[in-house]
Amino acid sequence: MYRITDKRDLSPIDYFIEVEAPHVAKAWKPGQFVVFITNERGERVPMSVYKAENGKIGMFIRKLGKTSLQLYHEFSVGDELYSMVGPLGKPIEVKHYGNVVFASDAVCGQAENYATLKAMKEAGNHTISIQSFENAENVYPEKFLAKPVADEHYITTDDGSVGIKGNYLDVVRELIEKDKVDVIFAGGKLGTLSKLAELTRPYGIPTITTVRQIMVDGTGMCGSCRILYDGKVRFACRDGPMFDAHKVDWEDVLKRANRFLEQEKLAKERYLEELRKKGVV
Amino acid sequence: MPKLIKERISTPERPPEERVKSFVEVNLGYTFELAVREAERCLQCPVEYAPCIKGCPVHIDIPGFISKLVEYRDDPDKAVKEALRIIWNDNTLPAVTGRVCPQEDQCEGVCVVGKVGDAVNIGKLERFVADYAREKGIDIGLLRENSRTIRKNGKKVAVIGSGPAGLTCAAELAKVGYDVTVFEALHKPGGVLIYGIPEFRLPKKILDREIAKLRRLEVRIATDHVVGRTVTIEQLLREYDAVFIGTGAGTPKLINIPGILLGRIYSANEFLTRVNLMKAYEFPEYDTPIAVGNRVIVIGAGNTAMDAARSALRLGAEVTIAYRRGPEDVSARVEEVHHAEEEGVKFEFFLSPVEFIGDENGKVRAVKFERMKALDERDSRGKRKIVGTGEYVTLEADTVIIAIGLEPNKIITEEKRLKTNPNGTLVVDENLMTSIPGVFAGGDAIRGEATVILAMGDGKRAAKAICDYIQSKNA
Repeated sequence: MYRITDKRDLSPIDYFIEVEAPHVAKAWKPGQFVVFITNERGERVPMSVYKAENGKIGMFIRKLGKTSLQLYHEFSVGDELYSMVGPLGKPIEVKHYGNVVFASDAVCGQAENYATLKAMKEAGNHTISIQSFENAENVYPEKFLAKPVADEHYITTDDGSVGIKGNYLDVVRELIEKDKVDVIFAGGKLGTLSKLAELTRPYGIPTITTVRQIMVDGTGMCGSCRILYDGKVRFACRDGPMFDAHKVDWEDVLKRANRFLEQEKLAKERYLEELRKKGVV
Repeated sequence: MPKLIKERISTPERPPEERVKSFVEVNLGYTFELAVREAERCLQCPVEYAPCIKGCPVHIDIPGFISKLVEYRDDPDKAVKEALRIIWNDNTLPAVTGRVCPQEDQCEGVCVVGKVGDAVNIGKLERFVADYAREKGIDIGLLRENSRTIRKNGKKVAVIGSGPAGLTCAAELAKVGYDVTVFEALHKPGGVLIYGIPEFRLPKKILDREIAKLRRLEVRIATDHVVGRTVTIEQLLREYDAVFIGTGAGTPKLINIPGILLGRIYSANEFLTRVNLMKAYEFPEYDTPIAVGNRVIVIGAGNTAMDAARSALRLGAEVTIAYRRGPEDVSARVEEVHHAEEEGVKFEFFLSPVEFIGDENGKVRAVKFERMKALDERDSRGKRKIVGTGEYVTLEADTVIIAIGLEPNKIITEEKRLKTNPNGTLVVDENLMTSIPGVFAGGDAIRGEATVILAMGDGKRAAKAICDYIQSKNA
């Protein structure tokens, strides 16, 4: 089974969790993700990886829906997850590019930011990390930022309470002007990623972004995560999850991410009600 | 010479109006008394002639097992045990095949009795033997008898995929002393038997028993392992003496027409996996949701289409199956079509989709079809060729399920040195060995889309070939 070995808050909205899964940790490479299930009645949850070391998979999770809330409130160090499979998806190409940027503005992206730049730094690149948060409160503890693996590190907040006011797009724009971007990777909110694609397109800067889609199996078996890529149907789980952002049909991606909104809301409300009854929240 | 009884003894079924409300199995199967009466209808053709044996892809001694039911009619347990012994010689999963084989195209299609009346109900008799044996624990007893003599030979085989091909191959190898590990990508074993075929057609308890039998044979099942990602075939070959690939045809074909990315358009695999494996029909008790509206269109007319249509019906929708060919070319089992019709699934023929039309929220609201017509000429599968008429119809639908076929998953075929055919299936030689020495394959991974019974047949053949291969390597 998959024992939880560490769990702690990153911010009021995000948490870190580390799970024993030696078969997954051994094979994982940057760009790949995992799928876990909390308990027998659980759903299959695709998740980015922050660290895969010593037989353990570390992940950043946002308390967003029923499963992430349940994992936060009901599982502690020593408890076991029902399932963890992976690594899934294709690894990104780790090689010498020169100046490598990773930009992120949401929980999974922050995990990918560290994981990707760690590998890129080891490959001899000049690594530039941009991590965007809503406000000072939501900024992660220093230890969980990508600072240790970044030659340059920027934080932005929407309200400017920490770091640069704005989001990573503003920093990217400046870096491009200084001609400091040979390749940019990014993960996080789909809306920002689509804007990033438009920002870098005129410059022809290679832009590789995570395209998070709703998945079931994560192995190419169901087609739930299909996207239009270069005019063709591709599965984010099997052919991605990182794609050349300039070839992604972002409009459809944004629409498909909302397919189960009603059900997600219902499950979350029911669970919050349960927590309220127990006096947890 | 027994007297010829033209009419078959029917098996009880739950009435349609009751069954559309739940996922409980539709057909209740024979009792021992009914099974004996049906068994008596068999003319007992001699083994060397019997058309049913030839018609069966794995050549079960059908008259042989049927005769045991009559011979030991006064001792039901003995009758079933002896019948099961005969079936197991060729088929280790009779509870499954009795339910899902297209018998009308195989054993029953060529039955001599069928030439003058109803064919002997071979499928239901096979199912009866398996079910009775399970309920009375006769299968476990027989397995214990058969496996008492197993001597471990110290050789290791990795089986990839726990569907019909993999389960069969694993069991056959374990019975002759191999140390077998089955690698399964999902969190539960069974492959298509667990994610694809719905509870009302193949109850999960049957699969659970088959897995329990494998465990009794000391087969290890490693779930949550995607071969090609978690571990590669090359790595497996370093640890195992041989590898069997039974990864099936698990990737859905989607229709390349406008609107394919709209919400509430599912591949049958996504729909069935959510419903069967993840139990979305019990959402929110189970966490995986399914969004189904009131009007569902299922595109395609194979068994998967019927499974999807009947599952959607059970989720409370009105369901129409739209097929581009005519009724005579429907490829699903006769029983499934019959059940679907009884339950209220509507059929529209000669409609080929050309566009999915969405609403302002990005959800499907209608499907535009071109009306087709059939020609006299037939294709390689014996189906009448069709052409468009230039006439279009639009049917409203708030949910669409695409069930037009599957192809092998590319994760496994991306492995270096593994040769594939243009359709994505693995290239194998006459011994089912792939282009990598020591790596064998069978089932839908080499056939594209075929049946459970053919996959099992391959699993068994491959097990023999693997034994020969390992023995010759060590000779």
